[in-house]
Amino acid sequence: MEIGPYIKLHRIKQEMTQAELAEGIVSFAYLSKIENQKTEASSNVISLLCTRLGIQLNNETDETIRDKCQQWYEMLFEVNDKEELIKTYKELNSLMYEHHSDSLIMFEIHKIRYFLILGEYEKALTQINRLADMSGTFDSLHQFYWYKFKGNYNTAKNEFNQAMRMYKIAEEKLNQLELSEEKIADLQYTIAVTHSKLRNTLEVIEYAEKAIDIFRKQYNFIRCAQCHIVLGISYRRIRMYDKAIKNYNLAKHLGQLSQNKQIIQLANQNLGYLHSTKGDTKEAIHFYEEVVDDQEVVLVERVAAATSLIKEYYNVYNFEQTKRMISRSLELLETKNMYDAYKLFYYIIYTYDYAIKKEKDKFESLVINEFIPYLKKHKDYANLVIYTNMVAKHFEGYNRYKDAVKYYKLANITYEELVSL
Amino acid sequence: MKKLMATFAFGALLVAGFAVAQDSPADTTMEREPSVFSISHDSSLF
Repeated sequence: MEIGPYIKLHRIKQEMTQAELAEGIVSFAYLSKIENQKTEASSNVISLLCTRLGIQLNNETDETIRDKCQQWYEMLFEVNDKEELIKTYKELNSLMYEHHSDSLIMFEIHKIRYFLILGEYEKALTQINRLADMSGTFDSLHQFYWYKFKGNYNTAKNEFNQAMRMYKIAEEKLNQLELSEEKIADLQYTIAVTHSKLRNTLEVIEYAEKAIDIFRKQYNFIRCAQCHIVLGISYRRIRMYDKAIKNYNLAKHLGQLSQNKQIIQLANQNLGYLHSTKGDTKEAIHFYEEVVDDQEVVLVERVAAATSLIKEYYNVYNFEQTKRMISRSLELLETKNMYDAYKLFYYIIYTYDYAIKKEKDKFESLVINEFIPYLKKHKDYANLVIYTNMVAKHFEGYNRYKDAVKYYKLANITYEELVSL
Repeated sequence: MKKLMATFAFGALLVAGFAVAQDSPADTTMEREPSVFSISHDSSLF
């Protein structure tokens, strides 16, 4: 990396203005030229600027840094140990701070993904904003990761259209680069998942098949399994149930070979949903029950399974089991103090809780005054259709036909909105 | 009253139609894609 942008990056990291850094050494206008590579400063000036920034101009450790960076980048993409990830990050951060390294920009760009993986979305955004000024000096490889990780940020915030725009720009950069097949496949997989979120079923199949071709050659079971799950979802959506089930079962088999519970139970959750949509409640319940009690599975998947069971049992009027699953869901949620992240699940649980207990006023107040507005705000049309329909049926049960019709109409409008997406 | 019943019947038909629609809206909480981030055994963060 050229010394000018390197100085600029360090200055920005330390939140110094150009005037502050330049004071007593050069004019800030000249510093600007140095940073933007419009001029070549003398080694004396560079040395003074670096001293002020606390940078050592010593290339002996550059190879060490480069190797460590590669190691850390790999950790950001595969099954990894969180402790190791953080430890390596801290070591690299110190090294980068003290030594001039060509790897600095790539490291700073990869920090975006690092913060996202740790769930530190604010830090990821801060990092994006800090690097935005510099993005004009990025080479093609930097730009590839820059757009990919900005897309990752959008994904984390459920901004899937914007995420797709970023991924597509990253995809265009592939023509200018010679990346490993694995890295290409990771982007293709990411695009497949994003298309799935946007319900672009045919594109999902196109990208997931490309990615799986590469992962298969590398015998990367876990990545193949992830692709099979995405494919399963798409085949379910176009009602090719046998193909969907085949893909889910392949994912489970690969999960078993890798001893990866997350994959196995994600496949079970989706199998449960598939059978639920086919009206095969018994099978749906069987698969959901597999997920709920597995303590090795991430909490959000267990809660999703538990709330799925609430709905299944409720729909077949098995209120004893419905109550059991309501308690179970609340127990699971008590383990985490993350009300906001799990708000949707809380709404679902209490909706059914009040419905079962026939607490009419609480049900109406929650669903009409809180749940439905929440779903509208988040443009969650699928759930909006389900719960406006539930409210309509509730009113129908009390012979309040005018109110029932109002909510059936809302369900209809929402459904039209959904299918036009 | 007749109008109300007719509209109510329409609503019931809508629900039935919705259930058999080609690409029935998936319950987004229940149909779950794998993550674009790493799979990890640390259930709290990944």
